[in-house]
Amino acid sequence: MFGRIAICLLSCITLIGGCAKSDSDHSPIQLTLDWKPEPEFGGFYAAQQHGAFTRHALDVKIQAAGEGADTWQLVATGRTEFATSSADQVLIARKQNADVIAIFAVYQTFPQGIMVHRSRGFGSIKDVFTHDGVLLAENNSWLQFLQKKFAPVQVKTTGYGGGIAEFLAKKDYSQQCFVTSEPILARHQGGDPQTFLIAAEGFNPYTTVVICKGELWKTHPEEVKSMAEACREGWRDYLDHPDPVNKVMHDLNPDMDLQTFGEAAAAQKPLIETDQTRSAGLGTMTSDRWKTLSGQLVDLGVIDPSGDPQGCFVNP
Amino acid sequence: MRVQHLHKVFDANLVAIEDLTVEIHPGEFVAILGPSGCGKSTLLRIIAQLDQPTSGSVELAEGKIAYVFQDAHLLPWRNVLRNVALPLELMGVPRAERLAAATESLRQVGLADAIKRYPAQLSGGMKMRVSLARALVTQPKLLLLDEPFAALDEITRQKLDEQLRELWLRHRMTVVFVTHSTAEATFLADRAVVLSSRPARVVEDLAIDLPAKREAPLRSEAAFAAMTRLIYGALERGGA
Amino acid sequence: MKSARRIAGSLLPPVLVLIGAAVAMDIAARMLQEPFMLPRPQAVLRVMVDRRAELASSLWTTAEAALIGFFASAVAGAAVAMALAASPLARRAFYPYTVFFQTVPIVAIAPLLVIWCGPGIPAVALSAFIVSVFPVIANTLSGLLSTDPALEDLFRLYAASRWSRLWKLKLPSALPNIFTGLRVAGGLAVIGAVVGEFLVGLFGPGEGLGVRIVSAKKTGHTDEVFAAVLIASLLGLALFAAINLAAKLLLRHWHASEQT
Repeated sequence: MFGRIAICLLSCITLIGGCAKSDSDHSPIQLTLDWKPEPEFGGFYAAQQHGAFTRHALDVKIQAAGEGADTWQLVATGRTEFATSSADQVLIARKQNADVIAIFAVYQTFPQGIMVHRSRGFGSIKDVFTHDGVLLAENNSWLQFLQKKFAPVQVKTTGYGGGIAEFLAKKDYSQQCFVTSEPILARHQGGDPQTFLIAAEGFNPYTTVVICKGELWKTHPEEVKSMAEACREGWRDYLDHPDPVNKVMHDLNPDMDLQTFGEAAAAQKPLIETDQTRSAGLGTMTSDRWKTLSGQLVDLGVIDPSGDPQGCFVNP
Repeated sequence: MRVQHLHKVFDANLVAIEDLTVEIHPGEFVAILGPSGCGKSTLLRIIAQLDQPTSGSVELAEGKIAYVFQDAHLLPWRNVLRNVALPLELMGVPRAERLAAATESLRQVGLADAIKRYPAQLSGGMKMRVSLARALVTQPKLLLLDEPFAALDEITRQKLDEQLRELWLRHRMTVVFVTHSTAEATFLADRAVVLSSRPARVVEDLAIDLPAKREAPLRSEAAFAAMTRLIYGALERGGA
Repeated sequence: MKSARRIAGSLLPPVLVLIGAAVAMDIAARMLQEPFMLPRPQAVLRVMVDRRAELASSLWTTAEAALIGFFASAVAGAAVAMALAASPLARRAFYPYTVFFQTVPIVAIAPLLVIWCGPGIPAVALSAFIVSVFPVIANTLSGLLSTDPALEDLFRLYAASRWSRLWKLKLPSALPNIFTGLRVAGGLAVIGAVVGEFLVGLFGPGEGLGVRIVSAKKTGHTDEVFAAVLIASLLGLALFAAINLAAKLLLRHWHASEQT
């Protein structure tokens, strides 16, 4: 009997080990997006559709992930070569000794916001936290930042599962939102949303950043450089001509209608194209921004001070 | 109690009883015998109004009816005392009164010191005695028993037969006792009604001419054996 | 002496399994070389010690919601079963739909929960209830419908009222089945509470284990995730043990399952 137990345990361990160690194929290269095909990924689909990837000698397969494993874990375990994540997640990953780095940042300005009912007469995010009501939000670093900034907090905060159903049903409910998404949806459904950008409160991580293993940058820098440049091309393309790519993405994600696609693509432009990108190029990052973010996360106790913010990104 | 032209059909056209008529007088101890499956249990259940006849009638005199099943069927979550008190409880008798009556009933079957025990702790014979005590607690005028001792060993069975006969002598209720055993019928009853195989009708209605007080030695007497032979013969004729 | 051996006999097997699992987990964690996937048992234990105050208050919050949901399941589930047992028509009409309680994904109805009850313990308790009520209904109904027919005859003989039959015969007779249902419902209520907290739990001081699991996961503290999961399992175990104890007390005189 003990022999059988030993075999069972052994196979379980091997299974876990096997799952973790499996390397993904190197052709085609996988780019895993951390949500469904929506305007926030428009540039990547543009690169695929209009040949930017192939022009840079890359055979890229785009995969849209759901909730579940954080995309940095998929990169760190070799399940995917590239993925999209956010700057705070990159720092958290590196704290856990996962060697991931950021190579291209789509959003220069943090696109998360808090959506409230206009009838509440709020003037800023501070009002949301210091009045009664319910806030639906994921327990991310930005929430912890805001809760610390506006302590003592009066609003009741609970989980955010997606959608706007609760928000529309109750006037005293506020929720997190992606500025290109929920507010547009709410307006279409007859609500009167008012959105405050979280970046305005000083928490401003790069978002929808393309990440890969640091090791890849060391061993195949040309591949990483090609990827970044293809993304740059794709995003230029999408910013200038969003409609054809929107149609492609809508076919993949019929839940979002074409009109919303168009409105979202327009709404996100100022967050993607800024003075920084006009001078240094789309998707580029500065070490000052990473240092600031790192300091904020240390202050929140999310990471410890020993990390090196310099080594977590490159502008290839 | 009068059973007249009783006719009982179960679904699928199973005729259990066909035109059965029998009359039982108050205070009689009647044994009912017949081959397996002939319908004697059905007859008993109809008398107890647990089943309805298809046609025919059952006339009963006034008074309470009690029934003892083939298995003791005690409520396993109650102790012996509360099991015996159950019929009175269902009739709404107040607590003190019914527990006193239950204690007395248990004393009559010789289980006065087992009142706190639970059925799971009792032997088969003891459980059956509790079942008997439960039947007697309402002081019934009519006591129906359906092969109650069949599952017990020979010695326990005979002892319980003796006990039952004694209780009957004391209380003189009308007893209808279904059994397979000619010896048991002879020992217990004044009258043996032998039924045929299905559909049941009366083959023979024998008077059992033995002394009123019946004790163990009786079983080995010649008159006893003769009686059992008579009953046995009737059973054979009825297609046992 | 004998009772000490009996206690050892019943405690030793599960303890050995726990140690074996911890060893296996340690080996797996070291083999994986990625500590963020599977933390080492020592790390989990350290978190449990270092943050025991917060974990204790989380446990309290989750336990409150789980227990409210569980008791609601027990009472409402038994009541529904009694109603279904009493009427074959109702049974045919409604029983199939009670399965929906079992199959509805909490994620899908979370918005309804939070709108009806407000976030926090009320909504979480409702989640625990929804997830755990069906086994109580199914097992209680099964027990109520399998009363010994001879005992039913006995009650009929003495012209027992419907209420007498239910209270003195059917319910006690169904107790072993009811406890089977409760044992399953207990664990489910804890799961329902934790999953409910993922979605509609209240953040902030004293937040439940489910909330803690999600935020620890988001900030990459897998050791804290496992610590919270372990504590939730212990909560489920404690509830299970309590139910078993109740079963023992109520059934010890008469049911084979509690006689050994």
